[in-house]
Amino acid sequence: MSGIVIIGGGIQGLSIAFNLARLGAGNIRVLDAGYFQGGASGRNGTLIRGGFGSPEWTSLFAHSNRLWADLSATLGENVMFTPRGYLIIAQSPAMMARLEGMVSLHRAHGLDAVLLTPAEVKALEPAIAAAGILGAIHLRDGGVAPHHAAMKAYLAASRRLGVTVEYGRPVTAIEQVGGLICAVMTGDERIACETLVIAAGAYSVDVGALAGIEVPGFPMRIEAMALEPVRPILRSAIALPDRLCYLHQTARGEIVGGAEVAERPQVTLRSDIAALAATARAYAEVFPCLASLRILRQWAGMLHATQDWGPLIGRHPDLANLWLSAGWSYGFAGAPAAGDLLARAILRDDLDARLKPFAVDRFRRGAPVREGSIVLAPVE
Amino acid sequence: MALHRAGERALSCTRKRHRPLGLSGSFIQGVMARVDGVPNVRLDQCQARPGMVAERQNSWPSPRADLLKLFRLVPARWVRGGFEHTRLFPSGTRRFLWWERLLAFLAGEGRLDPAPPPSAIQPGRHHACDLLVVGGGPAGIAAANHAAKTGRTVVLATRGERLARGATAMGEIVTPIDPSVTVLTSHEVGALYRGGTLAVAAPHDDGPATVIACAQLTLATGKRSLPPLVPGNALPGVMDATTALALAARGSKALGPTLVVGTDARDRVATRLRAQGVDLVDCRPVAELKAVRGSKGVTGADCNGERIACASIVHAGPWRTDPNLAFQAGSAGELRLAAGEPAAQVTLAGFAAAPDEAVHWSGIADEATDICPCMDVTAAEIADLVRGGITHVEELKRQSACGMGPCQGFPCWELMNAVRAGVGGPHLAADRPSHRGPRRALTVAQAAGLSDVVEPLR
Ligand SMILES: Cc1cc2nc3c(=O)[nH]c(=O)nc-3n(C[C@H](O)[C@H](O)[C@H](O)COP(=O)(O)OP(=O)(O)OC[C@H]3O[C@@H](n4cnc5c(N)ncnc54)[C@H](O)[C@@H]3O)c2cc1C
Repeated sequence: MSGIVIIGGGIQGLSIAFNLARLGAGNIRVLDAGYFQGGASGRNGTLIRGGFGSPEWTSLFAHSNRLWADLSATLGENVMFTPRGYLIIAQSPAMMARLEGMVSLHRAHGLDAVLLTPAEVKALEPAIAAAGILGAIHLRDGGVAPHHAAMKAYLAASRRLGVTVEYGRPVTAIEQVGGLICAVMTGDERIACETLVIAAGAYSVDVGALAGIEVPGFPMRIEAMALEPVRPILRSAIALPDRLCYLHQTARGEIVGGAEVAERPQVTLRSDIAALAATARAYAEVFPCLASLRILRQWAGMLHATQDWGPLIGRHPDLANLWLSAGWSYGFAGAPAAGDLLARAILRDDLDARLKPFAVDRFRRGAPVREGSIVLAPVE
Repeated sequence: MALHRAGERALSCTRKRHRPLGLSGSFIQGVMARVDGVPNVRLDQCQARPGMVAERQNSWPSPRADLLKLFRLVPARWVRGGFEHTRLFPSGTRRFLWWERLLAFLAGEGRLDPAPPPSAIQPGRHHACDLLVVGGGPAGIAAANHAAKTGRTVVLATRGERLARGATAMGEIVTPIDPSVTVLTSHEVGALYRGGTLAVAAPHDDGPATVIACAQLTLATGKRSLPPLVPGNALPGVMDATTALALAARGSKALGPTLVVGTDARDRVATRLRAQGVDLVDCRPVAELKAVRGSKGVTGADCNGERIACASIVHAGPWRTDPNLAFQAGSAGELRLAAGEPAAQVTLAGFAAAPDEAVHWSGIADEATDICPCMDVTAAEIADLVRGGITHVEELKRQSACGMGPCQGFPCWELMNAVRAGVGGPHLAADRPSHRGPRRALTVAQAAGLSDVVEPLR
């Protein structure tokens, strides 16, 4: 009996697999080319928020944020999601004006969002240098979840429901008959399938090419670094959009985060000194006490960038049994919602309104999603 | 060094179980303390000054009355990697929030002052040269001198406060450095970028970091002796030959009765220690050492059934090259960074270029044999993971947190691989998780100063 094949065992692939199995689908197979947690899902900043600058992003991510809050119970494992709050801090009048406009949007989507004055930000985060801060949005249900806990939980829960998840199994060919996908090849093995889902992260463009389709966007690296552990000094998950910087302190005491620099998109897992210096500069200026800490390690992960930075979720317009969950830049935060809504779309043919704006063919139709609060460098 | 000589051997403790750690030359956690209010300072890299206050970290309520030592009673199995996502405290419940707070408190070693005195960002420096030599031993000096003679511009960076520290400690005569070579002493090169053509070096104090653009790179970083893979191997008093020689040079009494274990070159180290007045009780092949005895520090050793009383165990082998910089210069891969062919302009020189010696492991997966004591990873944990089917080095690292402490992978991944190969059979390649810079080599302030020095890739 042929079933559902998912290409990619990152958090997207695992969340889709788990949700499909939970809705009763059988014979689900996840194939991943690398090792467990080797993709962006094991290399990210682990920040989770529901509120963004656009209604499209906010409605999808607010749903995801709510699912994160109960995810341990849902999966029967401990994902360690901690609602320590998420601060988006403005350092320029333009950003402050944008944040002021976002609060009502966030509240309308059921998020517990408040606007904070610099003094209130300082009270919440005593380590911050209040000079130069104009205010912040405080998303009180936002937070972080360590990716090692979340990934292990998704993997264990999926396997418990009978999903087969294999690492070290690259998909090398995709077969079609009559406008439908019928099988994939991994090594010498041919696996027949009724439905194929591409959730291959940065490699989704290449995997799409195997099926003869064009997946919009391109791969690029982004980088992060960890400072040596200290006793709790930062409470919230923090974004500094003016500095293209984000950070938080993990339950292991390390300060983990990164700042983006505008560079020619790089397809490599090597890290670069420009990102290291930019991150350190933002930390030292905004959180002066971090200046004396030493940098333990820096690393890079690969993202699938799209023209509007938004994900590509849904059915492919040209192949009726091919689905995608790709193009993610906030795919860690978005995974619970994407898995939940996409599984329903695949099994029940019920495409939720929250997924519709992120349709795979939106660029073809000239309908990108405009979103102004994400922390990523413009691509040159 | 001064503290160790004063008889203070347990300077620090392990992350989870608070077992004592000291000056070992192997595990950095053992020498980290809060110095004059700054957390995580390496005691072996700071000069003792009158009035300096060094406090033990990771203690509560105070370094003297430290209740956290009670964690030594917790069985090692309970705190294996991943223990923190126990189902007993799932997120979404109130008890998780307390659990997370407890974890964060225990994990954060040092205490940071949220309102420190303003520390100015140090503007970084930039050097361009034909050749960068990393390592100031005889091989590094020879490589630098050779290039300088042919008219090339050379920078030599070494972590030593002067050139050829180790060779001098061994009593060797050292060639002077060519005066045209730019020498950066007390500088750690922790990160290489862009295929080894850009290096970052920073001084151990808070002086400015330097970016060195080089056409060629020579790694003359020598080798380090790995601690023996036996129970008790992380006890204060177990140290590598380099550390022992440095201590002995400052006064032979600090070591007490000393046992030397090691590979072929161990006799040279033993002879040198004896010449410096160290009370040498024996010198044995490392494979004969079965266990280190002691609870707060070394009191003896078991060698092939024989009990040897001693206060220090000095290991002189197996010697291995820290693969970090060569890895950073040559690694490649899209799904994973793995060791690649070193780029053509990168060479290893001297002892670093010699073949690595094998790590001896008895095959007994003991909870008292440390692989990565900073993070409390034991041979038993690694062996159980491998037997349970987790054999990929990256997964072993993520699962156990081996190498995630201050040393960032050396010597811990070498020891991890010895156990992995010993359990899984010899067919497993000597492969390591990705080495990542800058491995504590620079502070945030130093790195911040580099933002005007390098252009992003455009
Ligand atoms: C440094 C960094 C920081 C980030 N910070 C955040 C953050 O704070 N919050 C947030 O929400 N997001 C963040 N992200 C983004 C987030 O990590 C990603 O959007 C998310 O992990 C994507 O998940 P995924 O499952 O789609 O991709 P991945 O985790 O990359 O998984 C894709 C998988 O596909 C596999 N694959 C590739 N080709 C094939 C093939 N041919 N056959 C089979 N398998 C294949 C790969 O091996 C890989 O495991 C960050 C990313 C990075 C790199």
